[in-house]
Amino acid sequence: MMRMDTSSPAVFVNAEILKMYLGRRVRAVIQVMRNDAGVIVGQSTDGNQITVKGAQAFPPAHFVEVIGIADGSQSIRAEICTDFGESFDMTAYNGLCQLANGKFKNLFL
Amino acid sequence: MAAVDLTRGAIAAISEGRVKDGVKPVVQVWEVKLVNTQQSTTERYRMLLSDGAHMQQAMLATQMNGLVKLGTLQKHSIVRLDEFICNVIQNRRIIIIINLEVLVSNSNAIGEPKLYDNGSASQNRVPSPAQSTSADQPVIAAENPQNYGGIHSSTPNIVQNVTRGPSLSPATEAVTTNSSFAGYYGNGVMSSRNTNSVPSEHPKSEQGVGRISESHPNSGYQNQRLSSPASVGAFRPPASSYGHPVQPAYQQPPPMYTNRGPIAKNEAPARIIPIAALNPYQGRWTIKARVTTKGELRRYSNPRGEGKVFSFDLLDSDGGEIRVTCFNMVADQFYDQIEVGKVYLISKGSLKPARKSFNHLNNEYEIFLESQSVIQPCSEEDNTIPRQQFNFRPVNEVEGLENNSMVDVIGIVVSINPSASITRKNGTETNKQTLQLKDMSGRSVEVTFWGNFCSTEGQQLQRMCDSGVYPVLAIKAGRVSDFSGKSIGTIGSSQLFINPDFPEAHRLKDWYNREGKNMSALSISRDTTTMSRNDVVRKTLSQIKDEGLGRSEKPDWITVKATITFVKVDNFCYTACPLMVGDRPCNKKVNNNGDGTWHCDRCDQSFPECDYRYLLQFQIQDHTGMTWVTAFQEGGEEILGVTAKELYLLKYQEQDDLKFAEIIRRVLFHQHLFKLKVKEETFSDEQRVKSTIVKAEKVNPSSESRYLLGLIEKLLTEDPIVVSGMQTFASTSGMSTVAYGMVESNNSVHSVTNNFGINNITLSTTVQEVQIARVNPLEVDSQTVVPTFVLNANNLGIGPVNVRDKVLPHQHMEVVVHQEDTTGNMVGSEILSATGLLPEACSLIVVCEMLVLIAFIPTVMLGSTSVSAN
Repeated sequence: MMRMDTSSPAVFVNAEILKMYLGRRVRAVIQVMRNDAGVIVGQSTDGNQITVKGAQAFPPAHFVEVIGIADGSQSIRAEICTDFGESFDMTAYNGLCQLANGKFKNLFL
Repeated sequence: MAAVDLTRGAIAAISEGRVKDGVKPVVQVWEVKLVNTQQSTTERYRMLLSDGAHMQQAMLATQMNGLVKLGTLQKHSIVRLDEFICNVIQNRRIIIIINLEVLVSNSNAIGEPKLYDNGSASQNRVPSPAQSTSADQPVIAAENPQNYGGIHSSTPNIVQNVTRGPSLSPATEAVTTNSSFAGYYGNGVMSSRNTNSVPSEHPKSEQGVGRISESHPNSGYQNQRLSSPASVGAFRPPASSYGHPVQPAYQQPPPMYTNRGPIAKNEAPARIIPIAALNPYQGRWTIKARVTTKGELRRYSNPRGEGKVFSFDLLDSDGGEIRVTCFNMVADQFYDQIEVGKVYLISKGSLKPARKSFNHLNNEYEIFLESQSVIQPCSEEDNTIPRQQFNFRPVNEVEGLENNSMVDVIGIVVSINPSASITRKNGTETNKQTLQLKDMSGRSVEVTFWGNFCSTEGQQLQRMCDSGVYPVLAIKAGRVSDFSGKSIGTIGSSQLFINPDFPEAHRLKDWYNREGKNMSALSISRDTTTMSRNDVVRKTLSQIKDEGLGRSEKPDWITVKATITFVKVDNFCYTACPLMVGDRPCNKKVNNNGDGTWHCDRCDQSFPECDYRYLLQFQIQDHTGMTWVTAFQEGGEEILGVTAKELYLLKYQEQDDLKFAEIIRRVLFHQHLFKLKVKEETFSDEQRVKSTIVKAEKVNPSSESRYLLGLIEKLLTEDPIVVSGMQTFASTSGMSTVAYGMVESNNSVHSVTNNFGINNITLSTTVQEVQIARVNPLEVDSQTVVPTFVLNANNLGIGPVNVRDKVLPHQHMEVVVHQEDTTGNMVGSEILSATGLLPEACSLIVVCEMLVLIAFIPTVMLGSTSVSAN
């Protein structure tokens, strides 16, 4: 069985928290607003915008999880993208981001 | 006898409408008589009021009846008229008293008042002061004659001539009227609506109100048509009359209009009277009020035929409320015009006693509109008229209210259940949603939303609560029911307000944020035994035992989130009686007759086919423990996904064991939300707590996440449990008996009733910080290897405790202790957190669950893994 690579865990972020982890590996769920060549523009779970570079196109309004490196205050250079489908609870995920980077940060990193 | 002065000239002034606003004349009650009207069974008191010189008929508003009954208001009492109207009814002048205060209950008669008749000056000469019987009572002086003079000469008035009775003044002067009366003729009778000109009653009025003399053909009605703004003076209400006699008992039927020439309609602006002053004896009235609620246009059919009706409620600037109802054509006429929140001028409706079973407003009357009624919207906003009127009662008072009474409440929504579909007795379906409302009285009550409220406000409240907000809810016209303690339900005319902008709402919110949310509120609504009740009380499986659930006389209804770990396949169903008993199937276990038929003992019948119903027993587990539960037909079907009959046939007829096993295996290790009914039952001398599954549903990740978020939120906002840092401690291990040295114990003892979001409502649960004194030899129990420790907390004088859990030696412990005996000895305890591990271990359980993806979870080390020498 393949061992899980825990060498660089991805931080659960939303647009706000992304800024704190520039250059680090992050993961975020966005709702696709539009696709431009190789770039997805989506809405983060806190309502702000995130740009994802180096990703294939996804159907608009779908929820996509992006794991990659935070390379700008509002953008992620994608490594892995997963389509979560059309229904996803953004509020719950946002709550997770806040807890995971707040009081319970040491549980995650 | 107090020396209370009667107001001089009061009667004349009242009768002539000369009383200024705010003036409250003091008069003497010359007579009080009870009358029963034919139209209603209400008792009304008729009185004669005197100012020492004159008397006038009066009617007492029913809300003052109590004074008469008590004897406070009696013959010769001296009263102050606080609110009154003077009306002309059938040519008689009647003073209607809305509010009075009895100044002197017992008094002597003052003066020799004569009935006031403002048309006949000669008749009503007042006795001079000297003639008054009680010398020390100043009596209205000879102003009156002057008044009369004044009446006839200075004020332009019309005096009726021929039409008056013989007792009246023969004055025939046709005085010109105010312009408002212009052009009013009739048989040489000129009448004006003026107070002065109305023919007064005959000197001796045997019958009191409204006696008509024969010789008043039209005057009464003609009079009443006009309203004179000038003459009414400072009165609020126009002295007007009604269109029909009020007390037919002593009145002759109204004479027909015979002589009517060109009638000048009064163009004077309507006089607005307060809603509280409305009564059936009022003639023409106009009210200005805001629509607070508007009902649906309902169609109905009764033996008399079909029809439609709609009602709306009005509120005016004095806070008076009244319901207005329209039927059929009138309903069509006005339905679209009426909008909630807008102000209207309404007149020419008829007043009838309110139907208390439907109408819960504080008014004994209701307005019924006819086709000639007038509704005029007010274009400019009237800020004196409130938008809505509430009479909030605190929740603890609701407990004392009668069943089916109406109440307004305001409180914080502390919990809400999802709405459910309910079938009514008549077969129709509707929605029901319950929530708990808590207020500053410290009590909470269950509120039930019915029908449309579920999909509108109910859903909104649900969303708010799911995201951890606890909104303020105000309810107007909720009905108190004594279903399960006392609870409140919505009715058609109830109104709900979420987070309204009222001062009470703000106060409530402040209180809640400060103290309310931590206060455990005692509910005045008991838990019910209805099967379909959704319960949002979330428990863990260990709490069933720890809290002794099910042990009281009523079963406990809880919700748990647990995983099915084992299903008992023997006897998963039973053969049941399919016959109907009432509206339910009998379902009793039936016996096999042997010949292929079945027999039911209760119904005492045999039949060829029986029903198969689930009686599933299975084991469920969560992070705290496990228990056995039983599921019946509905629960079984929900979980397994097949009917009992199908499964039975599959196993016993088709003997398809493979498929059978597959179905069973399919459900294993799936997490569900179970609603359990927990009750202690006696089985052959043994008391056992049994849990039955009432409902089983898949865990919805979204709502479950929100629930957990709310739980974490609660954890974070509670007082953090103080952790001290003392560490001196002899090392120990889980493996061997180690003697110990000194023991330190930090005693930050708090009573915490809410630990880590798990409701440990145990008596005197305290959190203590103790240190491990000694570790006992490892005890192995069947499932897990756990060390047991002995703790000592000397300072508190509590004895050694046995602790069982996955613990870490060398550590400070935060121990949750259940004190079970009165001497304060800790008898049992459970470690819910070990501080040496993780500061946030308290939240560990909860947070772990919400991670969808596996995060880095530090492992809790078992004692067995660490050994350290001393």
